[in-house]
This record gives sequence, structure tokens and C-alpha cells, in this order.
Amino acid sequence: MYRWKKKIAPYLFILPNLIIFGIFIVFPALFGFYVSFTEWDVLTSPEFIGLGNFIKLFQSAEFWTILSRTLIYVFSVVPITFGLSMVLAIILDRNIKAKGFFRAIFYLPTMLSFIVIGVSWRWILGNNFGILNYLLDLAGMAPVNWLTNARTATIMVIFATVWARVGYFMVMFIAGLQGIPGVYYEAAEIDGASKWQQFRHITFPLLKPTSLVVVVLSTIQAFKMFGLIKVMTTGGPGDSTTYLVQEIYQQAFQVGDMGYASAMSVMLFIILGLLTIVQFKVSNRGGNAYE
Amino acid sequence: MRKRLFITITALLLVGLMAVPVFAQKTVLDFVWFSDGVEGEVLKDIIADYKEEHPDIDFNIIEVPYNELNTKIKTMVAGGNPPDLARVSNPGELSSALLNLNDSIGQDYLDNFVESTHPYVMVDGKMLAIPIDVTANGIIYNKDYFEAAGIDVPDTEEELDDLWTWEEWANALEKVVENSNARYGLAYDYSPHRWSTLLYQAGGSFFSKDWSEVTINSPEGEKAVEFFVELHDRNIIPESIWLGGENPNTLFRSGLTAMHFAGNWMLTNYRDNIENFDWGVAYMPKGKIRSSVVGGKFVAGFKDSDNKEAAVDFLKYFSSQDVNAKFCEDSLFLSARKDNSKLNYSFGSDMFEIFSNELAVSPPEAGSDWAYNEAMSRIYDDIRQNIVKSIQHKITPKEAVENMEELAKSEIEDIEN
Repeated sequence: MYRWKKKIAPYLFILPNLIIFGIFIVFPALFGFYVSFTEWDVLTSPEFIGLGNFIKLFQSAEFWTILSRTLIYVFSVVPITFGLSMVLAIILDRNIKAKGFFRAIFYLPTMLSFIVIGVSWRWILGNNFGILNYLLDLAGMAPVNWLTNARTATIMVIFATVWARVGYFMVMFIAGLQGIPGVYYEAAEIDGASKWQQFRHITFPLLKPTSLVVVVLSTIQAFKMFGLIKVMTTGGPGDSTTYLVQEIYQQAFQVGDMGYASAMSVMLFIILGLLTIVQFKVSNRGGNAYE
Repeated sequence: MRKRLFITITALLLVGLMAVPVFAQKTVLDFVWFSDGVEGEVLKDIIADYKEEHPDIDFNIIEVPYNELNTKIKTMVAGGNPPDLARVSNPGELSSALLNLNDSIGQDYLDNFVESTHPYVMVDGKMLAIPIDVTANGIIYNKDYFEAAGIDVPDTEEELDDLWTWEEWANALEKVVENSNARYGLAYDYSPHRWSTLLYQAGGSFFSKDWSEVTINSPEGEKAVEFFVELHDRNIIPESIWLGGENPNTLFRSGLTAMHFAGNWMLTNYRDNIENFDWGVAYMPKGKIRSSVVGGKFVAGFKDSDNKEAAVDFLKYFSSQDVNAKFCEDSLFLSARKDNSKLNYSFGSDMFEIFSNELAVSPPEAGSDWAYNEAMSRIYDDIRQNIVKSIQHKITPKEAVENMEELAKSEIEDIEN
């Protein structure tokens, strides 16, 4: 009896989490997968149409334009976030004055919701009410169309996204750095290695597990970024900052084509899955840095 | 002591439980609502009066921003918990969820309401909502700025024969910017519905009156896009609205623009929030013809509601002559009821006359284009995107109307299949 209780106890402890996971993650995902094969306006019953939504998707020039725009956004945000968070972590892992204060400052945006961040940057960058243009005006300079020019709006969205996430990954890297034994650096210094050589041959390889987590998480988050962009630019000017998730929302809730939106969501899931597999494979190729 | 405490608590719980059936006898109507101005508060007064006559009815008002209205309703319906009532601007978009009022109220009831509202509520022979108020697009202007610039704005009936042409209007806006503190001439709502006013003034339309033809790709359609682009190129309309999502209300209220192209629903907002300058409503310029765009607000019940009877009873009450008059007078709305065409507004009756006059001369397509048409609801955002691309000079006005035509035809084909 006791052995049976001991065996079943761990499952009972994880059961509540499994139930919540099942109800709020697994079931909606499976339902979304089913809806992607239907025509459904939410108000009536879904009508099975087979691969109709996927055919429409692959034949849609607009979808490929939005996808390529999304990839540009993601492959800009991820490397910048990765590099900047690592640099900040290395600086703030040292014994510098007020490092606690600086860590808190960089981490602060992580505690804000994306909606708050989007609204704040909108108010900073607005053409007529933005504080940045006001300061430029005080300095005798011409205002800049931060959010009404397609190129600058894209750059600002990337900037705001990086600003919102860099603190979170900085903390991960700090934890990773603190896990590297100090004796490696001592031995390297004795052998006459420069700081750059120490970074290249000790720090960077030993941060591989942390780097993998940072890249995977930041990629997923970038693909899923909705609230910040929705309130900051509403996907504009025009559609220049409309990415896949915004388009899914648009199709689902504004056009009312839930089936087509679900098909796009399935595509997003496949893309994220493939990218994650590639990232794991690239990471595993170098082996364990401690070996 | 412990025993006495236990008995006391048990007794209190039992009393509480016995009271539950008393409260449970009240029918609670979920009412999804949006407000442009103060009409939410006016609704609460009306509901308070209704509850005095119907003590067994209570209301749960679910107030949402206008642009989240359909999303909220669809989510509630999909979740198996539809509201009992909702204030909507286009009943046809929700037609498969709304309650058919043919039997409970009867189509004859619509004879009480202006004809322009009928196409909105009648979908496939079913009456799906009751009209409450009508809206009219129009211009609100900063009187102080135009006075400072020495420009006379047409805002009386005597000036109807001398209305601005489009070019005169654009020149007047440039002049007022040069001679006042206005940074821009005109704040223009980021809305295809508002833009379409220019389309009708040019003599064009999106569809023919019976929706059998797509008519947007015409010299008139091209002209309307062209003029709108010109207003942006001349910096009369700030690009921050249509390209940057900046709020046109904020631009006008803060005195950055001399005019705001919006509609009568803004009157209470400006009455309550503008203190720094004098403002009024002007007659719109004349293109080929004069035109506003009719719209409306309606209240509907839901076919899967558990309280259909109570909802229908409130619909009849809310749309009755006296209650409708109170709602429209206090909210500063134009009534959809024929017998409420002359109301006693506490503010801006001269402004309402201008809006009514503008509606009276509008072509029928200015109403029929925006009554329920599934193709229109599908291409609404595409219309906006094509106008934006024209403003960005990524496409020409001709290409914009060609794209709109292609999209409309493609959606009509998709719907018919």
C-alpha cells in the first residue's frame, strides 16, 4: 500500500498543473488545429473545408509579404537582444560601483506589461505629442516622423522590443556567468590570455546552455509579440509593422475568419518548431564546453 | 461559548441561503454597450427608471471601447454566454447571433423610424435590431482660429448657396494655419466611413444602390482619393493620424488643428472637454454634390439569450417615443424616430440643424453602402490600407480604387460560392 502511495504521489502533485496545462494550453491548441480545417465566423458552427485555408494561405502574396516582414523583425530583435544582454551581464557581473542599482534599472522594463511599454513609447515618439520631438524642437531641430515613416517605425518597434526584453535575458546571463568557475580565469591569466581571449575561449563556450535558452526564448517571444506593437503603431504606418501575430488577430477578430487565422497560427507553430529544432541542433554540434 | 458561536454562524448562513432565492428571482440582463460621449450615463438613468417599473429586472452593463465591440460580442457568443442586449452600429455583421424581432415586435414597428435606418436592421427579411439614433458625418471647427484669420465659415442656412468648393476649403484651411495658432488645418478621422464622405461628394460610391455592382473604380472614386492625398501632401491633414494612429480628437481639442472631420457623436465630448476656445459645426464643402454619410446606432437582442422576453420588453421601452427623446436629448444625438425629428436639446440645436440638413441632401448610396453588406465588412480594412498607401505614394489613387474594386469583387464571389 505504502509502495503504491509512494509511486502515485509525484503524479498527484503534478496533476493540478497538468489539468491547468491541459485546459488552457493543450485543448485550445488542438481545437485551433481543428478550426484551421474549417470555415468559422465564431457566431455559427464551424464548417469543414479540408485544406482550403492552407491553400488560400500559400496562394496569398500578402501572407508571404507579412511572413518575410516578420522574419526581418525577429532576426533583428534576437541578435541585438542576445548581444546586448550578454554585454550588460558581463559588465554588471563585475565588482563595479552601484551594480545593484544598474541591474535594477535594466531589469525594470521586464516588470512592465507590453501594453504599458507600447503606450509609453508611443507617447515618447508621437509626432505632435511626443516628448522626443518636443525636446528636438527646444534644441532648434526639426521634428522626426518616428512612427509615421515606415523605416523609422520599424526601427523604433525593434528598439522598443529590445528595450523591453534585454533586462530579462541579462539576468539569465548573469546567472550563467556566476556558474563559471573562477579557476578557469585564474589559469588563463597565468597563461597570459587577454580579456578577449578569455571571453572567446572560456566565457562564451561555457555560456552555451544559457545562450541556447536565451535565443530560443527570445525568438519565440519576438514571433509572439502582439500587445507592444498593437498599441505602439497599430501595425502601421499602413501595414509596415504588421507581423504574423497582428495579422492573425486581424483575420480572427476584425475580418471574422477564424479558420484562416487558425491556419496562420498552425503555420506559426510549425515555423517556431523548426527554428527551435535548428537552434538545438546548432547548439549540440559544439558538444559540452566543459568536456 | 464555542457552541453558541457555532449556532450563531449556522443561523446566519441559513438566513443568507434563504435570501438567495429572493435575489435569484431577479432577471439580470447582460447589456453590452459602448459610448462616444455621455450616453452611457444617460442609459443608466433610463435603466433606473425602467427598474422602478420592473423591480424584477436588473442590468449588468458591460461597457467596451467601440473598436472592441464585435470582438467582445463574438467572444461571449462563442463561449456559450451571449449577452441579452447590445448596442451595435451594424446589426448585419452579427446577424447569425441576433434575435429575429419579426414575431415579438413586428416589422410594422419600423414605420416609426427614418427610412435610412431600415436597410441596417432588415437582413434577409428579418428585423434584427431597433434603431435608436442616426449619425451624420460633418465638420467641427475652431471659431477662434477662423476669426483670427478673418475667414467666414459657412454655418447658417443663408450660406447654403455659397458653400466652399473643395479647393476653396483647402485654401481656407491653409490660410487659417498661416494666421492663427493652428499647426494644421484639419484632423480627419482614421476611418473609411469618414473618408467616404468625399467619395459621395465627388459623385461616386462603393456599390450601386442595390449592391449589384461594384462602382468604386470610377473617375469620382479616383478624385476622392486624389483630393485626400493632396490634403496630406499640403500638410493640411497631419500624416500622424492616418500613418501614425494619432488621435484626431486630441489634436482638435488641444488646438493643434482648426477643424475636425468627424460627426455629431462628438458634440457631448467637446461640450464637456473644450474650455480653451469657442467651437461650432460648419457646413461641409460641396464636391460635385453635397453629401454627408448616414450611420446609426441600434439595440438588438440575441437568439441564444436566456432572457429573450425581458430583452424584447426593454427594446420596446428604450425605443418608445418618450424614452428615445430623453436618450437623444441628453446624449445630444439625432433621433432615429420620425416623431422625434424636433427635440429640445439643451445645447447645440443649431448644430443639429446643420447635421440634419446635410443628411437630407445625401444620396441614397451614402446610406446603402454602409448598411449591412458582407463584402463591405470584409474589405473595410483593405479600403483603409489602400488610402494609406496612396498617402505614402506607394500606389496612385487610380491603383487604389482598382485594388478596392478587385477586392470587393473577389469577396462577393467568395460569398456567393
